[in-house]
Amino acid sequence: MSPSVDYHCHCLASNSAPPPPHLPSSSYSFHPLHELFFCEECDAVRCNRCVSVEVSGYYCPNCLFEVPSASVRAEKNRCARNCFMCPNCRNTLSVVPSDPPDMDDGRSPSAAVSAVGEPPFFLYCNHCRWDSAEVDITFEKPTGLAAQLQKYEDSAPDSLEFERLKEHFEPFLRASSSSALAGPPPTAHSHHPHVNPITAAASSALARDIPGVGKYTPHPRGRRDKGPRDDMVEYRSRVEVGGSSTMGEADVEFMRHIEEVSEVAALEQRWANSWATSLHTSDLKPLRIPLHSKKSKRCPTCRHILIKPEQKAQSVRYKIKLVAANYLPSIKVALPQPMDLVRRGAQAARPPGGEGNSGANGLHAGDTYPFTLSLTNPLYDPIQVRLSVQRQIPPASTTVASDAAPVEKSRRPPFAVSLPSSAFPIAAFAEAWEYEDDEDMFGVDDDEFGFEAREKEGKAKNKTVGVLEKRANVTVVGGEVVIGKDAKGEVKFNMLVSYTYRSDDPLPEDDVRGTPSRTKAPEMKTFSFYTVVNLGSIVPRQETKMDTDP
Amino acid sequence: MAPLRDKFTIHSKAVVCQDVELKGDITIGSGTIVHPKATIFAIAGPIVIGTGCIIEESAIIVNRRKEVMRIGDDNLFEIGCRVESPTVGNFNTISTRARVHHTVRISSYCVIGAGCLVVPTEDEVLDEYTVIYGPAADRRTWSGRGKVQEADLRRKHAEYLRETLPKFNRLRRGEAHGHGA
Ligand SMILES: [Zn+2]
Ligand SMILES: [Zn+2]
Ligand SMILES: [Zn+2]
Ligand SMILES: [Zn+2]
Repeated sequence: MSPSVDYHCHCLASNSAPPPPHLPSSSYSFHPLHELFFCEECDAVRCNRCVSVEVSGYYCPNCLFEVPSASVRAEKNRCARNCFMCPNCRNTLSVVPSDPPDMDDGRSPSAAVSAVGEPPFFLYCNHCRWDSAEVDITFEKPTGLAAQLQKYEDSAPDSLEFERLKEHFEPFLRASSSSALAGPPPTAHSHHPHVNPITAAASSALARDIPGVGKYTPHPRGRRDKGPRDDMVEYRSRVEVGGSSTMGEADVEFMRHIEEVSEVAALEQRWANSWATSLHTSDLKPLRIPLHSKKSKRCPTCRHILIKPEQKAQSVRYKIKLVAANYLPSIKVALPQPMDLVRRGAQAARPPGGEGNSGANGLHAGDTYPFTLSLTNPLYDPIQVRLSVQRQIPPASTTVASDAAPVEKSRRPPFAVSLPSSAFPIAAFAEAWEYEDDEDMFGVDDDEFGFEAREKEGKAKNKTVGVLEKRANVTVVGGEVVIGKDAKGEVKFNMLVSYTYRSDDPLPEDDVRGTPSRTKAPEMKTFSFYTVVNLGSIVPRQETKMDTDP
Repeated sequence: MAPLRDKFTIHSKAVVCQDVELKGDITIGSGTIVHPKATIFAIAGPIVIGTGCIIEESAIIVNRRKEVMRIGDDNLFEIGCRVESPTVGNFNTISTRARVHHTVRISSYCVIGAGCLVVPTEDEVLDEYTVIYGPAADRRTWSGRGKVQEADLRRKHAEYLRETLPKFNRLRRGEAHGHGA
């Protein structure tokens, strides 16, 4: 596994600090940058676990028809046009006419097959050559097939049972909803400004009292309920399940006598069905293609939309797209290969044997490895970045320090990480043609914002730790990890990233900002976020001693 | 083994583009189309291709055995497929980038799906209407429904190519109805 950097969303935690990297909960709190959103209102990272998701439209992935939600319900979430899926291989089926009857010998050169085609028509898979005539499904006309297939689907025993259940509850639902209307309006009807009508309808449906089911509202039962629970007629199912002679035994019997695996429909072949289906491959029916939906996502706190696709099914663009990658610097971590080290002249610090294997063979206990973090600024303004290793909670002491003493047992990580201790700049993002010459591609003035540029100190101390390279909107910094002699597991640590940027927020006191003498101008803002850096697994010492250690 | 001497027998009604690689003793029947960049290698024994076949770009047909490799009529070899079967019947489709080993004999009306690898270690004959498809090279038997229409389409396809290809490609001329150099 190559080294990785993931970003923290603190939605799962009570405080903003992430869990220590060795806990299993760590992997649930960190996400790759490209999966995260950024809420400008809350000035916070949001992840797919905390955003609220809404369907913004349904469409058929095959014909790209946008299906109105009323039809979605009536057509049972499947395409009602001519889109069908092969039950055998899940390819799209096409409607084909039958072969002309008089030419059963395909080799005899024919005088052209008629263009219209002869009934009966059937569905045919161009990929695996399954056809619906194999399961006795043929059509007199090549049109309106979906409706005919839906009839098959709706005649499934489970579907009929479900319809009956709905019928059974219908009068009670109607009675209770009319009584609810007479009474005080349910809370869900008082429209929250941000709830869309579908969500409101769904939640009011869920919140509705169902007679016969224990009431949630602590109302005294003195009202003239039209459907008190005692009036509820007992429901009798169409098919008695659980008796002795049911499907289950037939299935067992069938499985006992199979001769080839292909007689049994694989899970993938039955998966897309709406209802439980037969286990026999020979019973597989063509399926109307299930619809897909486009979804938009909202910030869980302020309800602002974070991402919203364009309505058209053909479009792959977004109307709104607030992704974290446009706000936070992206960080790539790498363990340099030997050649990189030679180029940087950093090799002197290291014995030649151990580190050469760092990229390919993992990290060896007892060794020291340089690594690089390359940070890319997505903003149109330069930023100043400060990195620090998160202190481990149990012993809040020395694991962070660059020249930490050999690490001990306990719960401290068996390695020590050094990072550049001072802030460093990353130039603004610019389109490639905006760079006028090479000089523009290399760095900005370090003190442009009045920060102290102290990275020289860092460089002097150790050549591998500090700013290594600046070009365009990328700054590469070096760090170092010292791995304990008896270390095991992964080299994984939480890293706090703080960056200072020029805020675009229009502040009222323009005149105050105008004074150039202030070093810390009021429009500067700092944003901090946590990442977890995984450098790879440690190869325990004894395994490698013989062949790699010098 | 000593390579066969080149001997190409191309029917006057076949369309074989100039830019194809031919090696060994090869006979190409009437109405068969060989697209540019196709390769036909008769390494150990001759190759005889029937009528109405379509051999698309970068398809490779190889005979590694001494016996004559016979390919029947109206077969379609799609782009980038590789076939070494000692015999191929009629109306087969070898799809894009499929590979068929020399241990497999193909009868008729078979379909080898795109990218499928058919490389049994034991010699095998594919029954008529065998369909091999999907990433795991699953097999099933086609009912044959629709084969007349497919054959009709295959012929129209070939007919169209016979008209169109010569407009844009130089052709190899058969040596006057069949006698090699
Ligand atoms: Zn979250
Ligand atoms: Zn559709
Ligand atoms: Zn299929
Ligand atoms: Zn928000």
